Amino acid sequence: MKNSLLIALREFKERIGARSFVLMTLLGPAIVLGLIYLMFTLGGNSKQHWNVLIADHGNLLNSKIMPGTDKAVDYSFYNGVITEVEFADAKKFQKYDALLEINEKVLTNKVGFVFFREEPDIRMQSKVKFQIERRLEEILINQFGKIELADYRKIKQPLTLAFSNVYDPNDEASDLAGWAGLFYGVLIFVFIFLFGMTILRGVAKEKSNRIVEVLLASVSPRQLMLGKIAGIGFAAFLQFAFWIAIIAAGLYFMRENIFIDIFDAGQMNLEQLVIDSSDLSYQESQFASREYNHFIELIYERMQFANTTGFFLLFFSVGYLFYGALFAAIGATTGSESDGQQFVLPLIFLLCFALYAGYYTLSYPESVMADFFHYFPFTSPVVVMVTLLQGYAEGEGYQIYLSLFILFVSAIAMLGIAARLYRNGILQFGHRVRLRHLFKWLRKS
Amino acid sequence: MLEIKNISKSFYKKEALADVSITVRKGEVFGLLGPNGAGKTTLIRVINQIIAPDSGSVRFNGDLMTQGDLLKIGYLPEERGLYKGMTVHNHTLFLGRLRGLSKKDVLTKMDYWFDRFGINDWRKKRIEELSKGMAQKVQFVCAVLHEPSLLILDEPFSGFDPINVELIKQELIEMKAAGKTIILSTHNMKSVEEICDRAVLIHESKKIAEGTISELQSERKLGLYAVRFKGSMIAFVNALWTGFEIDDKDILGDDRFVVRVKMRRDNSFQDLLKVLVGQIEIETAWEVLPSMQDVFIALTKEKEEVVNEK
Repeated sequence: MKNSLLIALREFKERIGARSFVLMTLLGPAIVLGLIYLMFTLGGNSKQHWNVLIADHGNLLNSKIMPGTDKAVDYSFYNGVITEVEFADAKKFQKYDALLEINEKVLTNKVGFVFFREEPDIRMQSKVKFQIERRLEEILINQFGKIELADYRKIKQPLTLAFSNVYDPNDEASDLAGWAGLFYGVLIFVFIFLFGMTILRGVAKEKSNRIVEVLLASVSPRQLMLGKIAGIGFAAFLQFAFWIAIIAAGLYFMRENIFIDIFDAGQMNLEQLVIDSSDLSYQESQFASREYNHFIELIYERMQFANTTGFFLLFFSVGYLFYGALFAAIGATTGSESDGQQFVLPLIFLLCFALYAGYYTLSYPESVMADFFHYFPFTSPVVVMVTLLQGYAEGEGYQIYLSLFILFVSAIAMLGIAARLYRNGILQFGHRVRLRHLFKWLRKS
Repeated sequence: MLEIKNISKSFYKKEALADVSITVRKGEVFGLLGPNGAGKTTLIRVINQIIAPDSGSVRFNGDLMTQGDLLKIGYLPEERGLYKGMTVHNHTLFLGRLRGLSKKDVLTKMDYWFDRFGINDWRKKRIEELSKGMAQKVQFVCAVLHEPSLLILDEPFSGFDPINVELIKQELIEMKAAGKTIILSTHNMKSVEEICDRAVLIHESKKIAEGTISELQSERKLGLYAVRFKGSMIAFVNALWTGFEIDDKDILGDDRFVVRVKMRRDNSFQDLLKVLVGQIEIETAWEVLPSMQDVFIALTKEKEEVVNEK
């Protein structure tokens, strides 16, 4: 144990002393923050003028909307039923940006549906909502006649407009939380592979420069392997901690200094805003200088960073142990340092496979394969992060612990296998790695 | 001190050690000799528990060797490696700590050895900045830092200039005097003659000879004697008559010679001296034993001839 610690400490010092470590520690978060900045700034630039087709088959709105509405939205009326598919595909509807479905129940259930081609920003959404709500108010007042408009507004219920993408009504592709999960998963794998390759190269190098023989005269191969994995893992953890700290500080800085308006808009209760102000210009002014996108909402409002980061660290640690052992075993079985390069390609395939599993889960979360990937140790670190951010159904939270347990048991098993390969392969030089050698080494104690 | 019994080890289908048994006594310098690829390094790795034998046992001070015993062993492998990016100081500290010393002890012993070898100025140098010989010195220090009772040195003189070879030799002689046991694997036969008490010769994975250096030399002696004298070479040759044969001669100058003579028939060293007395002025005479180099070559050739005959 003491020897493993000494080995780990040496590895740790060597890694953090390397220039590449310092560079990656600063450059990595800078790139992530740059991407976030781009998403923040580009994400708000949605279309500024909208053609809305109102399908009002009962002619409830009487083919008119409030007089003097602003120029940002043009309304057209169709007194019939249009299906989403028709709206999505029919040539005659292509000039419209959105379809607003109004039926007679809207007066009682206060729910309308908007199918858009390109997601509108929140200002456009609130405009449409506000204008339709006004028109419905007029109709209701006309129907009941005896109530004052001002009194009505005190007791009215707000209209709910459900916005969805006409091409993707279930909103699968635009599941931002899931994408954030995939981002976490990718981050896990980037770190695992970066530091896994460091293990592989380190072991192959120790082998080729023969220092390993000096070390093995004092420590057992298992201690050496564990120390190496642990030391490089500590360095990975430290780098990751720096990433978190720098990204968090960067996000805070952006919120406080660059995107103050955006953040306020995200916090603003739109329902309240509409109720409190019957004056469109007031509402307009509230949004005049603001942009909004779901990414900001996701980053600053919806993500449960503590919970997510906790599981991220758990899956990262255990996943790193699992893959780290694999990388160490590969490094130990290579015949020469350049031999290790041959393994890079299959390892990249493995990386791509794991990332694809994450993407697959994002697209088909309910599929059997997604379930399999969720528990399969080679893919679970990515897939669990996707599922975690998408949200587990009630009562299914145990699945994350089950997956973690399977990954943990697999990591222990992988460490056992790797230790055997390491012990029997570390002092074999100049050979070509063959499967029968690996099987022979595995059988040996 | 060290009992190696019936060790066998194969890699794939190649036999590296076949039923090798050796005993190394406490306080001796034991030579481990053999041509390249004979199995010496494999045997050393088995002793160091770096690889496990297919069969056989290694006993250290009477008990089966354990991982804990490794702390009592200092090992300098033939193919030496160091972490190139580390400083001499940090590297020595790291290996000293791995061999069970406290940081304080490592620093104290490091001071002693660095002073002794005159390498104090190298402390802050990175290993990659050192020449091969300099790195060898650091490695030697790392191997002896924890004052092991058994020191295993695989080709300790390779890469050293003659001055440093002498330095290392002197260190080994001092260690022997201090009661340390040393296993020395080397192709430098001169140093074997100088510092080894006993030796074993391994050839093609098998032990083919073991004994004290003089025993090994005596077994291969060719009945050759040397005489250093002053006088006439013609008189010397005439005196020998038919019972002896001149093998070789060195002219020392001023009518002084060293002549090596082979005995013929049943003639002895005494007979040689008898025929020479009165003919020349004998300064000294001695039996010429084969050098360890000759013993080494003779033994390995014999073995190869036996194999070829089969």
